[in-house]
Amino acid sequence: MNNLKLTGRRPGDSMRVIDIGGVRVGEEFVVIAGPCSVETEDQTIRTAVAVKEAGAKMLRGGAFKPRTSPYAFQGLGLKGLKILDKAKRETGLPIVTEVVDTRDVSWVGEYADVLQIGARNMQNFSLLREAGKSGKPILLKRGMYSTLEEWLNCAEYILAEGNDKVIVCERGVRTFETFTRNTLDLSMIPAVHAESRLPIMIDPSHGTGIKYMIEPMSLAAIAAGADGLEIEVHVDPPSALSDKDQQLTPDEFKAMMKRLQALLDFMGANAANEAESARKGDALPAGSPAGTRAVGPQGPRDPFADAMD
Amino acid sequence: MTLKDLRDDIDRIDAKLLALIDQRMEKALLARAFKADVADAPREAAVLERITRSSRCLSGPAFTGELWKRIMAEARSIQEKKPKTVGFQGEHGANSEVALRAWDASAAAMPCVEFSDVFDAVRDGLFDYGIVPVENTLGGIVGPVNSILINTDLKIVAAIDSPISHCLLAVPGVDHREIRSAYSHSQALAQCRSFLARNKLEARPYYDTAGAARMIAEERRRDTAAIANRFAAEIYDLEIIKDDIQDAANNRTRFLVIAKESASQAGNKCSAVFSTNDKAGALFGILEIFAREGINLTRIESVPDKPGDYAIFIDFDGSDADPAVAKAIAEAKAAAHGFRLLGCYEERRL
Repeated sequence: MNNLKLTGRRPGDSMRVIDIGGVRVGEEFVVIAGPCSVETEDQTIRTAVAVKEAGAKMLRGGAFKPRTSPYAFQGLGLKGLKILDKAKRETGLPIVTEVVDTRDVSWVGEYADVLQIGARNMQNFSLLREAGKSGKPILLKRGMYSTLEEWLNCAEYILAEGNDKVIVCERGVRTFETFTRNTLDLSMIPAVHAESRLPIMIDPSHGTGIKYMIEPMSLAAIAAGADGLEIEVHVDPPSALSDKDQQLTPDEFKAMMKRLQALLDFMGANAANEAESARKGDALPAGSPAGTRAVGPQGPRDPFADAMD
Repeated sequence: MTLKDLRDDIDRIDAKLLALIDQRMEKALLARAFKADVADAPREAAVLERITRSSRCLSGPAFTGELWKRIMAEARSIQEKKPKTVGFQGEHGANSEVALRAWDASAAAMPCVEFSDVFDAVRDGLFDYGIVPVENTLGGIVGPVNSILINTDLKIVAAIDSPISHCLLAVPGVDHREIRSAYSHSQALAQCRSFLARNKLEARPYYDTAGAARMIAEERRRDTAAIANRFAAEIYDLEIIKDDIQDAANNRTRFLVIAKESASQAGNKCSAVFSTNDKAGALFGILEIFAREGINLTRIESVPDKPGDYAIFIDFDGSDADPAVAKAIAEAKAAAHGFRLLGCYEERRL
């Protein structure tokens, strides 16, 4: 991964912290939650209020939907952006929404705080360049057939345009396993931390496509040191126009957030203890960030050292 | 030519019809002041005769006759209600009209081409009031208005300090990605410069913000937008692509309501204009009078008048019913050249 001039991590490099309307990704643990698609104003605002109450720090919601079938619901477009804007004014939550067309980048940027580039567009290089030029924070999802190197090179496209506000997001890859929608690759958390300076979030909703797996995978992601999660929540999942099987109800989300917080608290206390011992002279692994979210990279390593495993 | 093209044409014509009907009602309302009674049978008969005589083939005299009877009945009913008329510079949907609606929602807004037309029509009794912008937080003083204020005999009867919000407006259904340019007043374009640059929109100066909205609506332009306020979007049935697109927050304009007679009720603000002798300390001597009485000056503006001479505008808190204010005014009148109280009135901040 020698070409990652801006994305790559060299000894002594610290993690990038990205400030999004006061939410500091890379420093605090951030849960992005909201519906798969913006369907109506009522559905979006009710969901926004509920996820905020449960502890989410940003609101997601798709206005432009890349769908497998051209006949499936394609999103509300500009109207959807206006609804998200209203939800933001109501709750104060920064908005994360996907952009699928280079012509939309500046317009989506007028409404959203974070532009999401979806798995299917990960290697849409003109879209990446345009997103880079916008200067907006970017949530770059991993393509479903992409290697870590390909993924980080896509982040490099954005950074090369002078935009260093990139968060990457693992959302599962295609394997021979068909039980789950995708195979969620949590090993990317330490890998991204070791190879890059970018924060990494996990999307267990798309990563598994199965409701009951969202919580265990979220806990595992936290334990592995993820910087945040992106979770789909809908006020009435059975009536959702997309992804009805993987969206949590606000109550389910709230219950899960409580259990995630318990783990975050435990890890935070643990990190504080470690930092305390380090201060007393015990060695701390190089590159370990001290603070509330503790489990981080174990320092840079040669990614090809165990390629023959 | 497709059905869609034809319907677009029809929509264009409807937009113009609506504006024309509105204009006709405004003229009818103004005509009321010149007539002894609302009803004027010979005039109505003459109008009907002319309309039915010149009716074209498709819309026969039976139809146009009925339509005009209805229009004139509505005009009579407006004359009977006789809302107060307020002149403003610009097209319907101008920021002055937005401020006017905040001052009195039931007033009839009368568009004028120039600021001087507003003052002249109020002076001549054609309009009951006028509303004019006097200063903007980003653009500074409105030169033509201040120049007229130096010599006018009209009184300031109210002030409205209003936020200015610019919106990008387009014909409903237009794909925002197809928009290449934006028309508006050059000051509004300047205030949205970075928004326009971010979205690669070419700035096209136009004589008026609301006029740009009206032009887009009437011509059904699909490749271009206008920058104007929300109210303009409402009256010209345009879609707000994005609101609050101005680069800097805190864009406010202060508007004055002018009339022939002074405000009847005591207000919270006074305005005056004067000039001074060309000698050291002349201006200080006058301002000192207000300082001594503990009166807070809220605006001091000097505007070039005759060569080498400046008109000095001051606004201050208080009412002329207050003895301290009355005393300061009397002293200032004696000390300054041509000290004239423009009005004591209620100022509202929106």
